Amino acid sequence: MKACLLYSQKEWENTSRYFDEKAIVKDLGLNTLFLSAAKEIQWEDGKISLIREPDPFLEDTMKKVMLVPLREAEEILYRQEILRDCLEQETFICRLYDLTSHILGEWNKLGRRSGAGTGNYNSPGSLISEIYVLQLFVSGLKQLKELLDEHKENLRSHGLQCLHERLCSEFPPRLEKDLERILEDVVFYADTRETEPDEPGNRGLVDKPRLVMGCVIGQGLKLEDFRLEEVVTESRKNRRTGSILARAQDYLNLRSKNIFSVRTDTALPDQIKQLEFEAVRHIVSCSKSFVSAFAGFWDQLHFQTAFYRGAVNLKHFMDRFYIKSTFPVPGSRRTLHFRELQEVVMGLEQHMAPVGNTCDLDEKTLLLVTGANQGGKSTFLRSIGIAQVMLQCGLFAAAESFESGIFPSLFTHFTRREDSAMNSGRLDEELGRMSQIIDHLEDPSMVLLNESFASTTEKEGSAIAYDIVRALAEADIKVLMVTHLLSFAQRVQDELQGPECPTAFLSAQRIELQGRMQRTYKMIPHEPELTSFGLELYDEIISP
Amino acid sequence: MEFVSILDMEESPEKEKPRQSFLLDLNLYQIFEKINLYWGENLTSMYCYLPAGPLCEDYRREVYADIRQEALYSILCGLLDQMKDRREIFTKKSEVTLELQKQVWHLQETACYCGAFRRLARELEALPLKSKGMLAFRTYLQNYVDSGRFRDMEERSARLLEKMAGFRMKLIYENDRITVLAEETQGNYERFLQDCFPGQNRQMRSPFRSDAGLTELEQELVKAFQKQSPDFFWETEDFYKSYQEYAEDTLIRFSSEIRYYLAFYRFQQKMQEKGFSFAAPSLDEDRDLYARGLYDLALACSRGSGPEQIVSNDMYFGSKESFFVLTGPNQGGKTTFARSLGQLVYFTKMGLDVPASCANVHRFSRILTHFSVEESADTGRGRLKEELTRLAPMMRAKPDTETPSFVVINELFTTAANYDACIMGRRVLEHFISTGCRGIYVTHLTQLCQAHPQVVSLRALADEQGKRTFRIRRSTAEGTAGADRLAEKHHLTYRQLKERLS
Repeated sequence: MKACLLYSQKEWENTSRYFDEKAIVKDLGLNTLFLSAAKEIQWEDGKISLIREPDPFLEDTMKKVMLVPLREAEEILYRQEILRDCLEQETFICRLYDLTSHILGEWNKLGRRSGAGTGNYNSPGSLISEIYVLQLFVSGLKQLKELLDEHKENLRSHGLQCLHERLCSEFPPRLEKDLERILEDVVFYADTRETEPDEPGNRGLVDKPRLVMGCVIGQGLKLEDFRLEEVVTESRKNRRTGSILARAQDYLNLRSKNIFSVRTDTALPDQIKQLEFEAVRHIVSCSKSFVSAFAGFWDQLHFQTAFYRGAVNLKHFMDRFYIKSTFPVPGSRRTLHFRELQEVVMGLEQHMAPVGNTCDLDEKTLLLVTGANQGGKSTFLRSIGIAQVMLQCGLFAAAESFESGIFPSLFTHFTRREDSAMNSGRLDEELGRMSQIIDHLEDPSMVLLNESFASTTEKEGSAIAYDIVRALAEADIKVLMVTHLLSFAQRVQDELQGPECPTAFLSAQRIELQGRMQRTYKMIPHEPELTSFGLELYDEIISP
Repeated sequence: MEFVSILDMEESPEKEKPRQSFLLDLNLYQIFEKINLYWGENLTSMYCYLPAGPLCEDYRREVYADIRQEALYSILCGLLDQMKDRREIFTKKSEVTLELQKQVWHLQETACYCGAFRRLARELEALPLKSKGMLAFRTYLQNYVDSGRFRDMEERSARLLEKMAGFRMKLIYENDRITVLAEETQGNYERFLQDCFPGQNRQMRSPFRSDAGLTELEQELVKAFQKQSPDFFWETEDFYKSYQEYAEDTLIRFSSEIRYYLAFYRFQQKMQEKGFSFAAPSLDEDRDLYARGLYDLALACSRGSGPEQIVSNDMYFGSKESFFVLTGPNQGGKTTFARSLGQLVYFTKMGLDVPASCANVHRFSRILTHFSVEESADTGRGRLKEELTRLAPMMRAKPDTETPSFVVINELFTTAANYDACIMGRRVLEHFISTGCRGIYVTHLTQLCQAHPQVVSLRALADEQGKRTFRIRRSTAEGTAGADRLAEKHHLTYRQLKERLS
């Protein structure tokens, strides 16, 4: 049985992640997203009453799923469709997640670690756990079916509808009935009934088995080839061994040729226990294929549900800080345009809606962002990177609209100003990482470069940057770059840009307000300049 | 000829005597271990005594030639498998205490025995056997399986077992009571489980212990069943009483002794798969004693993954030649060659194939070996005395027939002074040559090469670079044993030591 909520045809596998996922998480600050998705907000009268402790499973799931990029537009739309259902039917996704949590939690209590639910029936103890696991699965599947039935009308996504259909065909009512009968038949061994029968009339009654089986007499009179004929649990009066009735019965047995009592002081009671054990073991072991078919299913369903559950949490957080959200559109590799794109991580961290940017970068291979320090260049670059990652895992993006190509081969190469002291060791390491990226580029690829090659002189850095960027651009790799290497930018403008390498130049906007130059954190088209207005910043801070 | 044993026409007198020292000296135990390993049983004692005389040697050789036909080998292996089953049943029979059950196990044991020899008699019928031993056995077996007692035993046991196979028991366990019926069941619940979980064929495990005995519950069930079908149990008891001692000693002995051939044959096949060759030796006294491609089988067993690692040699004794005196560099393969000669004679006497690509061997009454206990020099008279004490019975032994012995001597008198050792060595050689013995004398005393006209000088060869080749050729002895080369290799020459120590 497959859950298929993340992919239409297959289950989750933690493979083909982004090549340098650690760098992506760190450079784009994605941990904040994972954590927000793990926290549930409870509202009361329009106010927040409680923010729950983060659920580590949600956090981990978010991280895993976001770091495996989808490759096809249909895959992205498949998840977006399910996510839409979940955002509209919040109670549904919450109950589903609670159900899978409950099942897995109970299973752990029954000793999943030590093998319960894996077909270990080698002792009466483990056999009883196995019966409880079977019962847990049966009741869990019943509840799942009920939940899906209940929301049937409102679940429009292909993924959730198919889940419902698959469940109905792989856990049909007949199988459900048979499994329940088996559980009833072996009640004498493991009582899985949900309520205790304690009506007055039942007092003094105990569950006893009635087992009928056939066997043959094999080598050396050993009995073998046992086959079950009948298995029932019956309620019987509990006779004490010494009672007059019991003794009368045993006396009668003695006179009969072929009946004997097993309630004796000999080894018989133990051996009859073994007989019961083997009979029940046989019955339960037949259900092994059922249990193993659904064992993986619960894990998958829980994991896949967690992604949507986390997305719902994340949406609440974004709403709370008035951060926009939209389902991004997967487009062709030449597409990249957006309206009011916000840097969601910064918004979540600073509890405020960041400045939105609107750009049309369609048909551009290279984007160079230059301009004032502290002007929001890096934030802008990150906002594109984050939106790209969110697009590629089927999530919403923080914008009014966002459309971009699909780049499973996404790389970030961020150098922060503060740790870019001139140091040949660092340049060595930086170039090493660049070379690794080059090794792993695929077609198409997107590379985000932030202040790269700053750990050397401007002249050298520019030369290196020019060669690399030129090569990348000529290989049709999409490069989005923030740089302060002005002579490099100048050179790109003079020598590189053109039909071979369609380039966009952006710069952080500065406007004059009340007699001073102010930053707006908006990016505007602007030819590269030879100053980054660092002097102004210096003046601003050092000599106010 | 009345058939007694497949190993010997008459009992070998050596069977009960203490084991001879050549077994150890020729490293034969290493070979036996390998045979045991491939076979899976310890058969060493069978290989430790020589047959009683030349006729017995030929008797074995003929049987082994028959065994080498694939057909007979696999038929006999089949017999042994059934004998093994019988032994397992017998073990179970001895374990159980319930008389009723003992009788049933006995019934099965007997049936297994009857089946095994009936099959063997049928399969041997058409086989082209040549050896006296196998022909006599076939006749013996045929008479046996045609006897009235065997036929009666066979027929009765089969009938009873067939009856038993038809028994079906139904047991109903409810309210702490079990009812036993002699009825067939339909397996209704099994069918329900099948429908519920299609495609799996699970079988309920027996709720009872898997050993031979019956638990109390099983006993109660069987007793309840017995009351409903008493005839079978009476007949089984009657059978048990009539055929308590059913097995024929000669046949049991045959099935034990035949392993001598089968195990060696299996071993030989395994070694041949690795590339080692074996040959059935001829025994022509008019031709020279010779062997081509002779190698040390024990060495092949202990570290030979393939023949390329083990050097083989060709050798012959001319008509006037009696003794090899073998000299050469240390670790040059001298002892190995001497052992391989001893093994050649041993396996020929045992009637088995020899480790060579072809060979003609003469008859020898005994194999006499003398190996120094350890090769490191231990000065003092104690050691010399010990050597002489071991040598004395070898020299005193008068051959009881006209057939001479085969002698292998390895490094005698190493602790005596050179002059003394030469004289003693010469005397030993002269003694053995005069009594008509043949053999090999490995020594570092080059003077012994000319000790007697019937002595052949052999040398372990070195190639141009002075490396040891382990090849043995006829050649006159040189003075040194290549020790200087060894020293150079280990940087222990005077010049090297000076350099290293300066």
